[in-house]
Amino acid sequence: MQKDLEDKFLSDFEKNQNIAHKICRIYTTNNDAHKDLFQEITIQLWKNYPKFRGDSKFSTWMYRVALNTAISLYRKSTRTVKTQDISDFAYKIKSTDYDDTEELQLKALYKAIHQLNDIDKALIFLYLEDKPYKEISETLGISSVNARVKMNRAKEKLKNILNP
Amino acid sequence: MDLLENYKKAWGNQPEETNKLSALEIYKLAQSKSSSIVKWIFIIGILEFVVLNSLYFFVDMEEAYNEYKKIGLENFIHYSQVLAYVIIFYYLVLFYLNYQKISTSDSTRVLMKKIIKTRKTVRNYVLFNLSYMAITMIIVMVAEINLKIEELNTKQILLIILLTLVITIIGLGILWLFYQLLYGILLKKLNRNYKELAKLNNID
Repeated sequence: MQKDLEDKFLSDFEKNQNIAHKICRIYTTNNDAHKDLFQEITIQLWKNYPKFRGDSKFSTWMYRVALNTAISLYRKSTRTVKTQDISDFAYKIKSTDYDDTEELQLKALYKAIHQLNDIDKALIFLYLEDKPYKEISETLGISSVNARVKMNRAKEKLKNILNP
Repeated sequence: MDLLENYKKAWGNQPEETNKLSALEIYKLAQSKSSSIVKWIFIIGILEFVVLNSLYFFVDMEEAYNEYKKIGLENFIHYSQVLAYVIIFYYLVLFYLNYQKISTSDSTRVLMKKIIKTRKTVRNYVLFNLSYMAITMIIVMVAEINLKIEELNTKQILLIILLTLVITIIGLGILWLFYQLLYGILLKKLNRNYKELAKLNNID
């Protein structure tokens, strides 16, 4: 990669890295796996950046590459046991300046997401990130109609876990 | 209001990651070695080409050739090997081209399709190699029997046929199981996710 392109990438990624961290949080349940997946995402973003033509926003492209890495390239299984301990990811969430109820909700949410399959995780993540259906269907490579149907099912599954 | 809307709000308000990386740390991380499934498929695919083709180095080719000559198969072996190398070369090129097309900038479904296609190229290559070995073994057996047809009785002929078939089936079966296991482990997650995604594309 050329030097100016490298610099552009590093600054864009540095600003948007929280997207990758969130993906690592939903697809892994401990710090080592988080770092491992984050590393693979970084490698894939770096490798593919010269092909990124900028016809979409950097963040949109990043969602796609990072989710692809978690779903298809990351070798270790991301499926977690149902009795997973909440404290596993609690270390990541700073409790200061953060509403108590929301903190509990967030913990419950992560715990519930960990029980979904990889594709449902991606759907729910994109919903939580407030992505339009057009972008969701393009990211996953399915039709808009299917994205809606599948999203509703994933939401139902999530609701049943959160509120049995 | 929808139950999930509250959770969505909590999600939106979640604090940023505390262990943020600097540009320099990101740069260092980007230079590290990938351990992705695609890379493993590429390494294993190349190893298969190398290992299966280097098997010939362990066979005394001259002795084997003399044996083929004795049973009158030298032309068949010669031409079939030329053909086999052409086909191997074709698979190698196809494998490389498919591998090159894999890009994480594609949509999830297209990416999975391309990975599976690349893996199938290797599978077809392995299948071709195994069938080539099986066919050669059977032809050699037929030629051997043909040569000694006057000395052998029916019982002996049947025994040779049975033995050759059993050895071929067991040998190739073990190799095939090994491949299934290797790719089964490597691609378990990918196959499961692909099925999930394909399933949701067939909803209409």
